[in-house]
Amino acid sequence: MLVLQLLVSGIETGALYALTAAGFALIFGATRIFHFAHGATYALAGYAFVFASRLGLTWPLGGLLALLVAVGFGLFLEAAVYRPIQRHHGAFFTIFVAAFGVVIVVQSLIELSFGRAFVAISTPLTRAHEILPGLYIARVFWLAIVVASLVFVSLGAFLARTRAGIGLRALSENPDLLRAFGLSARRLSALAFALGSALAVPGAVLGAATTGLSPAVGAHVMLISLAASVVGGIGSLRGAALAGLLLGIVETLVVAFLDTQWSEAAGFVVLFVFILFRPSGLFGAAVAR
Amino acid sequence: MIAYLLNLAQLAAIFGLLSVSLNILIGYGGIFSVAHAVFFGLGAYAGAHVALDLAPDILLAALAAALIAGVFSALLALPALRVRGEYFVIASLGLQMLATTVFTEASDVTGGLGGLVGIPPPTLFGVSLADPLVFLLVCLGALALALAVVRLLMRGSFGRALMALRDSESAAEALGKNVPLLKTLAVLLGGAGAGIAGALFAFQEAFVNVESFTLDQSVLIMAMVIIGGAGTLAGPLIGTVLLLALPAALTFIPGLPPTDIGAVQQLIYGLAMTLLMIFRPAGLAGRRAGQR
Amino acid sequence: MTRISRRTLLAASALPLAGSFLAPRSARAEEAYILGTLFPMAGPNAEYGTIFTAGAAMAIKHASADKMLSRPLVLRAEDSEGTPQGGAVGMNKLVNVDHALYVLVGFTGVSKAAAPIGARAKVILVNGGGVGPDLAGLSPYYWNVIPLVPDEIKVLTPFLIARQLRRVALIYVNDPFGNGLYKALKTDLTAAGGEIVAADAISPADQQFSAIAARIRTLSPDAVYFASYGAQQAQIIKQLRDAGIGQQLLTYSGAAIPSVRNLPEAEGLILTAQAADWTVDDPITQRFVTDWRAQYGSDPTPYHQNYYNAVRLFALLAQQLEKAGKPVDGDALRAALLATRRFALVGGEGVFDDLGDISMKIVVNTLKSGKLVAIG
Repeated sequence: MLVLQLLVSGIETGALYALTAAGFALIFGATRIFHFAHGATYALAGYAFVFASRLGLTWPLGGLLALLVAVGFGLFLEAAVYRPIQRHHGAFFTIFVAAFGVVIVVQSLIELSFGRAFVAISTPLTRAHEILPGLYIARVFWLAIVVASLVFVSLGAFLARTRAGIGLRALSENPDLLRAFGLSARRLSALAFALGSALAVPGAVLGAATTGLSPAVGAHVMLISLAASVVGGIGSLRGAALAGLLLGIVETLVVAFLDTQWSEAAGFVVLFVFILFRPSGLFGAAVAR
Repeated sequence: MIAYLLNLAQLAAIFGLLSVSLNILIGYGGIFSVAHAVFFGLGAYAGAHVALDLAPDILLAALAAALIAGVFSALLALPALRVRGEYFVIASLGLQMLATTVFTEASDVTGGLGGLVGIPPPTLFGVSLADPLVFLLVCLGALALALAVVRLLMRGSFGRALMALRDSESAAEALGKNVPLLKTLAVLLGGAGAGIAGALFAFQEAFVNVESFTLDQSVLIMAMVIIGGAGTLAGPLIGTVLLLALPAALTFIPGLPPTDIGAVQQLIYGLAMTLLMIFRPAGLAGRRAGQR
Repeated sequence: MTRISRRTLLAASALPLAGSFLAPRSARAEEAYILGTLFPMAGPNAEYGTIFTAGAAMAIKHASADKMLSRPLVLRAEDSEGTPQGGAVGMNKLVNVDHALYVLVGFTGVSKAAAPIGARAKVILVNGGGVGPDLAGLSPYYWNVIPLVPDEIKVLTPFLIARQLRRVALIYVNDPFGNGLYKALKTDLTAAGGEIVAADAISPADQQFSAIAARIRTLSPDAVYFASYGAQQAQIIKQLRDAGIGQQLLTYSGAAIPSVRNLPEAEGLILTAQAADWTVDDPITQRFVTDWRAQYGSDPTPYHQNYYNAVRLFALLAQQLEKAGKPVDGDALRAALLATRRFALVGGEGVFDDLGDISMKIVVNTLKSGKLVAIG
């Protein structure tokens, strides 16, 4: 029963990881920008939601504010930080360092405006109830699954059906093709950032209610997103999402056998196994760039 | 005051050694590692144990540290070097995360979060190096040696082959270069340099614990190389001094409530990092833009 | 461990320290008594730094108003970040740059890293917040004005047995404080006929506790004891309650901070802490409490009291040395402490033992709508 219980909380964690990881994978796949500040987007969205609920706004309004903040922040970074560096043939690591600077800035801004203490939203949704003997499930579990499924279905439809979606998928592979279609690579890159950042919002909002937030909350989510994008296969959204789910489950299940301090490391063991034995990931095509 | 300035200069020399050694990987080899603090840590633990269990001889400690860090770096790099680019970055990131956990958990060897305390002052063949000025000279000596080695190697055939490989792996392969061997040697050299820096650090702080060897530290070292200018001899040194001096200068900001100082310093520090990268993407000493 | 923060970026490299070397501080050091503080001022434990500093600041205000000493008292803050690393680095600066005579410190790991530096330079370190068992007698120049956690456990154990809370699950931070607490709790509880049914070590950066909660639930203990700091405590409480753990939650004095007290889920939490009796009818306590309420509009906490006492202790010792015409340095302060032993402090007379540790009454409290209520 313990394993079943852990599986349940692993799926809940994993569903939220899946969304954030898919956001990173979408941005990285389309633009090849190593958006290390994706975790900062997550933190900002979470805090925006907390801010809204402290103002007394309702859940949907709070979610909308979080969405606006996340998308705005993503677009701002793309235009003000990444694009200027890329114009200079910016090295991979130059972008990494710049993004890391952004992470530090965001963290200190949050500390200055919200304090360093832990903040959380109190809601009956996160209270677990015994649904089977020994198995406790909170309503937020179903919510996480429903939200994740809805988002993925609509994202899939968008990418497969719309011109912009197809353009996004083509962006990394064949920029010339884009021009032929009359699509602007710059606009698509902004779109990738807007969509990718939006994908961090559900995880952040539900995270504010389940685990709570602290100014450094984005770091872990960021590392999981990175690992998931490799395990899933770079550029594959489906892969990143599935890998995010997998990493969430592994992280939680490992507690049944080992000290909890190993739970984060366990995710990275999975990562190594993939890099060594299946570097193309779950769905990736090729290793080469 | 003098003691404090010497302390700061020692740290600058040690971090200079770290960034110079990482530059072999990033700047010359095109091997993007964010796990340099792991080898720094291995060296520090090795040096600390030599000093605590055997003798606080600095040469002995540095040799042990270089050996352990070098061998581990080569061993760990072998499988990971099969993959390229982003994959290697993420693999090294994974290695860094695993190592942090192992350093924390293996408290019999590392002291866990409590760390190893009471590391005795260093000696050399029985002569005490406890005087801060003497120890500073030792650190500077190690740094100068590392710079000389890098300069010599990068002008020789090894360096040329390595840089050819950085610029185009397939071209280097086609020219008959032994790519895996070249990469492994570069990683080994960089790891050994980080190990020596670790041993010096253990003596310098008289205390080591896992917090000095986390991802943050790896990123800091990487930032020193990138901000200074990867692939240049002077770049890592410039980056080191800058990233050490900047937070120091920030303590001058007047009129802040003491509880906000930390966050405001951080804010400016992060902002400076980002702005430097936007306006000097090739680093302060770099002429051409980065490697890719 | 993945918290990306300034922690290593600044502290590890000891960089934040400089800067001050251009300021004419050594000149001023001749004129004033420099007291250093080595508290976490940023990051997840910064809440403690704010609390600790407030207590010390009021004591300085009072000592200055009373003209207790011939020279002014000046406070110099270094950020320990609550970590051993930050402690070693910050202490180095306080000793070598600020020429502090007397340093206030909190946190077990910080203390253990800073104490050897203090001992070498003969600078007194006084702890009013860390409660790890091995803080007793850390060095001749290291004193405690807070009772340590074994004292808390000694009071808690009989209480648990009397309440039939014999089977306890423990969640503890894997660091010198947490490991020490685990040892103390295990020894005392087992001896009293209780049992630790599970002991889960966590890292100070962990944020997810639902898995631990699931494992603990299967063991159905009588109570769950958690030993952590700052923000993490609130996360543990919330996630345990969310996961359907309805058992009694237990902890130590570290939870007496706003982020825990104001958490709805923390209602009914049992925590040991030194007795905070603000009705004590002596002028020193009454002045402290009255001024505190006037300035902050709320009651002080034991942490405020301890750091007030730490500074007051310095003022009393230095006053004694000045009157005797002796220099005020580490050795003289230590000799004066051991010669005098009894001091008029907030909360009544403080008595120090041979190691320089104070003893204080400890009580078991429960949390009722954000307030500590003594229950045993």
